[in-house]
Amino acid sequence: QDIVVKGVINDESGQPVPGATIVVKGTTLGTTSDFDGNYEIEVPAEGILVFSFVGYTTIEEVVNGRTEINITLKEDAALLEEVVVVGYGTQKKSVVTGAISSIKQSDLEDLPITRVEQSLQGRASGLTIAANSGQPGSSSTIRVRGITTLNNNNPLWVVDGVVVDNGGIGYLNQADIESIEVLKDGASAAIYGSRAATGVILVTTKKGKSGKMSVNYNGYAGLSSPSRKLDLLNATEYATLMNERSVAGGGSILFPNPESYGVGTDWQDEIFNNAAVRQSHELSLSGGNDKSTFYVSFGLTDQEGIVATEISNYIRQNIRLNSTHKITDKITFGQTAAYSHEKVVGIGNTNSEYGGPLASAINLDPITPVVETDPVLANQAPYNNAGIFRDENGNPYAISSLVGQEMSNPYAYIQTRLGNYQWSDNFVGNAYLEIEPLEGLKVRSTVGAKLAYWGEENFTPVSYLNSAFVVGQNNINKQSNRGFAWNIENTISYDKSINDHNFTVLLGQGTYVEGINSGSSVTYFDIPTNDYKEAAFVSGHPADKIQSYAYDGYEHTVYSLFGRINYNYQEKYMFTGIIRRDGSTKFGSNNKFGVFPSFSVGWNPVLEDFWPENNAVNQLKIRGGYGVVGNDSSADFLYLATIGSGRNYSFGTGGSVVAGNSPNAPSNPDLKWEETAQLNIGFDARLFQYFTFTFDWYNKKTTGILQEVELPGYIGTTGNPWGNVADMENRGVDLEFGYSQTFEDLKVSANANIGFVENEVTFLGSGIEFLGSGESIQSSTYDFTRTQVGQPYSSFFGFKTDGIFQNQAEIDAYTNADGSLIQPNAVPGDFRYVNVDGEGTITADDRTFIGNPLPDFTYGFTINVSYKDFDFMAFAQGAVGNQIYQGLRRLDIGSANYQTKALNRWTGEGTSNSFPRLTTDDTNLNFSNPSDFYLEDGDYLRFKTIQIGYTLPNTVIEKVGLSKVRLYITGENLFTFTKYTGFDPEIGGNVLGVDRGYYPQAKTGMLGINVQF
Amino acid sequence: TDFIELDPKVDVPLEANYYSNEAEVYSAVVAVYDRLGKQSSGFENMITMMNAGSDDHYAGGGGPTDGTGIQSFSDYSISEATIPNSFWNDFYQGIFRANILLSKLPDAPITDANRTRYTAEAKALRAYYYFELVRLFRNIPLILDRVATSEIYNVPQATPEEVYAQIEQDLIDAKSGLPNTITDMANEAGRLTKGAAQALLGKVYLYQGKNTDAAAEFAEVNGTPGGTSIYGYKLVDNFNDLWELDGNFNSEAIIEIVHTNQANVGWGEWGDGRNLGNTVNTMVAPRSVEKLTEDAPDYASGWSFNTVTQDLYDVMKNDPRFDATIADFAALKAAGKVNYTPGYKDTGYFLKKFMPLNSEVTTGGGEPILNYRQNVYAIRLADTYLMEAEALGGSGARAQALLDAVRARVGLPSIPVSLDAIANERRLELAGEGHRWFDLVRTGKAATVLADRGFTAGKNEIFPIPLKELENTIIEQNPNY
Repeated sequence: QDIVVKGVINDESGQPVPGATIVVKGTTLGTTSDFDGNYEIEVPAEGILVFSFVGYTTIEEVVNGRTEINITLKEDAALLEEVVVVGYGTQKKSVVTGAISSIKQSDLEDLPITRVEQSLQGRASGLTIAANSGQPGSSSTIRVRGITTLNNNNPLWVVDGVVVDNGGIGYLNQADIESIEVLKDGASAAIYGSRAATGVILVTTKKGKSGKMSVNYNGYAGLSSPSRKLDLLNATEYATLMNERSVAGGGSILFPNPESYGVGTDWQDEIFNNAAVRQSHELSLSGGNDKSTFYVSFGLTDQEGIVATEISNYIRQNIRLNSTHKITDKITFGQTAAYSHEKVVGIGNTNSEYGGPLASAINLDPITPVVETDPVLANQAPYNNAGIFRDENGNPYAISSLVGQEMSNPYAYIQTRLGNYQWSDNFVGNAYLEIEPLEGLKVRSTVGAKLAYWGEENFTPVSYLNSAFVVGQNNINKQSNRGFAWNIENTISYDKSINDHNFTVLLGQGTYVEGINSGSSVTYFDIPTNDYKEAAFVSGHPADKIQSYAYDGYEHTVYSLFGRINYNYQEKYMFTGIIRRDGSTKFGSNNKFGVFPSFSVGWNPVLEDFWPENNAVNQLKIRGGYGVVGNDSSADFLYLATIGSGRNYSFGTGGSVVAGNSPNAPSNPDLKWEETAQLNIGFDARLFQYFTFTFDWYNKKTTGILQEVELPGYIGTTGNPWGNVADMENRGVDLEFGYSQTFEDLKVSANANIGFVENEVTFLGSGIEFLGSGESIQSSTYDFTRTQVGQPYSSFFGFKTDGIFQNQAEIDAYTNADGSLIQPNAVPGDFRYVNVDGEGTITADDRTFIGNPLPDFTYGFTINVSYKDFDFMAFAQGAVGNQIYQGLRRLDIGSANYQTKALNRWTGEGTSNSFPRLTTDDTNLNFSNPSDFYLEDGDYLRFKTIQIGYTLPNTVIEKVGLSKVRLYITGENLFTFTKYTGFDPEIGGNVLGVDRGYYPQAKTGMLGINVQF
Repeated sequence: TDFIELDPKVDVPLEANYYSNEAEVYSAVVAVYDRLGKQSSGFENMITMMNAGSDDHYAGGGGPTDGTGIQSFSDYSISEATIPNSFWNDFYQGIFRANILLSKLPDAPITDANRTRYTAEAKALRAYYYFELVRLFRNIPLILDRVATSEIYNVPQATPEEVYAQIEQDLIDAKSGLPNTITDMANEAGRLTKGAAQALLGKVYLYQGKNTDAAAEFAEVNGTPGGTSIYGYKLVDNFNDLWELDGNFNSEAIIEIVHTNQANVGWGEWGDGRNLGNTVNTMVAPRSVEKLTEDAPDYASGWSFNTVTQDLYDVMKNDPRFDATIADFAALKAAGKVNYTPGYKDTGYFLKKFMPLNSEVTTGGGEPILNYRQNVYAIRLADTYLMEAEALGGSGARAQALLDAVRARVGLPSIPVSLDAIANERRLELAGEGHRWFDLVRTGKAATVLADRGFTAGKNEIFPIPLKELENTIIEQNPNY
């Protein structure tokens, strides 16, 4: 006899579960719950009902004559257990044997993060991340466990299985990210073989969840301002010091009455924006049923820069659709697809002493006004040149008669760049089909692709910024590029448990093609308008005023086979073995294929019978592994001897250009990938229930680093050959701590991590002590960095100063072994340089290592506290032990402004022992010798984010149909603690730690709202 | 595995497949010529550098650190750290390209006529580059073929005698393969001739004191003083015409460095082989020139390098060549005709031979100030006249006739020939063309004349070898550096 049974299905929090399946056991009869979780079904009175829903434990209930059965579904504990993405699959965290840092969406919610790299900064141990510039939208430099190679150190980014190049990762919208995993050790990264040596970062985007559709809006808006200014001389101080400098060099008084100039112009005030607008809006919808799920999101980010805002801003729009579909019980189809559009307007130089608003603000004299208001002066030279810019009152932007070259009035400079911007459009997606013919056996085929378009438009008007900075002919330029990369991966995996032996075997094949690139650029010179708004590619323009070029890129293909076996016994003993074989177009005929093996083991002693019951150590997993990975991120075809073009000459009376070609560097058919072998030993523990602790020690050795072998000039090649030359080592320790506890209404959690790393160059080629060309500052006599065996990569190299000669007697007393003067040309007020080689006078041989741009350790910590409806979060990160080379002042412009440090210069006996005299006749090279004078400690601690939120009570919002409303206030970069005197101690770039006038990061205050319904 | 055996596309030819047709081989010849541009292209060019070290000019420029290498030569603080590498590297690049070409030519599928001519051009250019190196640095490696990879860091320095012997041999070999004159001026003007090789060989002999050999070579190049030589060389009637744009490829040019305004040189190409503009033009022009009156000359602005010393001004003041050689901005400014911004070591006198007019500024593509097209003489007939007279010991009828011819061209009367008279004439005739410093060193006068600049005898006769060449190699630094 059938009866009708009704009821409501709720989850543990009391929320109704729509779409749950209710089936009469042993039949195909069934129904699903409605939007409010209600169901109604006809069943035999003694039948059994089966309640199920994805992600929840299935419940069976004997009807037993009841007409109302209410069910509370419990989330499936097995599914709840944390999993980690490991590449071509996931693994339960409890059995992971490699060193993998994992960041979940919950760690990143509602944070004002513009680019994905910033979500990693300070949140994963062993990663050193520094912004390349404060220009909005600019990328960051990421180093996984130190500097792995002398070449490209960027990690491999894999987004949902698609390899995305480091520069192109900016298309990702932070709110779409479900998790980020960083494969740090060789044993984990080996699954990516020849491209994994610099670390692998796996990004997984959000998937829809079946059940009630959820709509989430998060938006914030705020204002940014610079966090600090440099202390520069004002006009009176400047005039005073320039007088002193001139007189000391035998010149005349340049400014008879310094006081008359007052404070003058503060160029920093002129370029900085204290209220740069920043906003972001995210809207996502997700939902689905047990057959299909979807996640759709839309985002808009709009950020103004704090430096010369008119030519410094960033906009990104993005859309994403991810979905999965169960075609049959055994076949699943899924896809991800994202599109983004970015537009960047940049100031040009963001860390360069060669011009741009920052370098100009630092170097320009404070005497020159912003505009020349004297009508007489404003109409004579130089203001009668073509290309002078004027303010709205018709006054020309003043041109300094004291400081020239690339240093220019920033207002005029801005006018020359208004027509410049860069753009990019990125389409990234993948699709897969997965068949599960037997339980545990999965056959999966994935296709991924990235299509990118990028380019820029520039208009350079006729301009006269100063006598050395003249554009006599305008031009308009358009560049566009297209890049395409795709890959196919086929994998078979099999999961099997026999008694307590658990196996997972993965076999795979991959084919990767990238670099299907092309582009073109067109420039029209001398177009009829000088206004960027009207500038266009006019038709009928004379051919000799048109310049264009086009290029095709080089395809780079990789063909791979790979396999992995995971085994554990009762989750007590674990083993993972990986092998990958890659063939790549980048390498010489003698070395096309490379094999990359790895293994790792783990042991969980807590599960052993002998382990005593205790509450101190709740979990403990000891693990270790060793793996070899490669790096093939070098340029294409380096192994071939090629012919280079552009060695032209002109013959004939007509002046035509005749193309000249000659060999580049010699060939090297043995060229192959760099190999990085890494040993990692560590453990994960949970202590006293509330504390987690992860420890990793590693030793990473890179051998055969591809190196452009700098040949002596007498060899005469244009360009140098490449060889697998150098070796490098990184040793370090990564620590992560966690704490989480709930006291009734109060929840407290904290995470901290710290990564120590020590880098050492161990070999640079037989007989080669150091690499020839380091970084230099204009007109400095020597390079100031050097990569040398036994030292960290690109260490600071120069003279050591030992105070300042206070009087002639000290100079005369400074003698070498022969009794002759070491610095015979010095005068009081000059540096005493340490005579490192002990011989003769001060020469190039007296240079030595004076500092390290790499930090000893980087760290980060996060504190979360919530009490009832209020929550608080503070996140800070920092670096310790590195130095910064401060090359802000133009050495070749004697009249460039000084920082106020110069006020404490040496002016007579006893006045200073650290800042030498000022003179135009610097024969002791106090300023142009690179020395420890220019080095400062780069230690810092920065509170990146401080956030306070308030979640409206459910009772209030339910009435308007909302499920969550949270208001928050966020401060970004509010506090930075550092002794560094430049704009910003966090300086990224290929050579970390060189400040040439760095675009600083902004501090920002924002209000935000998060609404869900 | 075909999948991972891609070849680069055609725009990157492989060396192994190159030199397979006439066009490719010709482009390789052009690449050897490319380094001739060192004379007057790029910031670090020979003329600006060598002028700066002489008593006729200062480095000048924007300030005491504008061009450290040039400044340090001008004040004789030059050291292994300040000598620009390019004065060493660029010539060796030319030598490398010549060596490779010479190794490929025997088997290249080209006509025998071209093979002969290209071989001669490659040898003559290799000799030109080695001569620059040996007279600048004296103790240099002598490399005539590709250096094996294993030997790259083990190349020793040759003796100057060995280098000179090779230069002589190359030029003797080249003489027979070069055309007497260029007939197809539209397409070939600027390529080397037999006369060019002989003039250079004469000069090479002269620098070694092999005066008889030198005079013999020069005699063929020069022919009858004042007349037209067998190669068609003849002094240009009007001295001023030598410095006009229309003067390119005149009858006085023996080795002419070709510049063009058609290379669209931008700042990015400035330092490399695509740079075919004359940079000396921009470098020697005064800063921020303004023309204030109608009758004032319309000079373009530049960077005020190689300002003329008071000393040269004084000796040239009454010479008929003054107006073509020196622009007296001190006087022009005083007369209210022009204004300009004084640079470093400003004397008010500028090197007019190379000063561009606004009318000469290109209107084509590229950065206008980097695309001047005035050609430059590495060797011209007045120079070989005076060198022959010097090789003849500064005495005798022919030496007198040679000196007279140079003076007569500018309307000066004969004066008795002597080595001093020749040296003085060279200074006036060739002022600012980069010869003065070499002349002072060759004749042993440098230490005296340049004493107040800081010249140290026994040291500054040659450059220091750049620091980079000493690192990881067996190259030894020149004495006293």
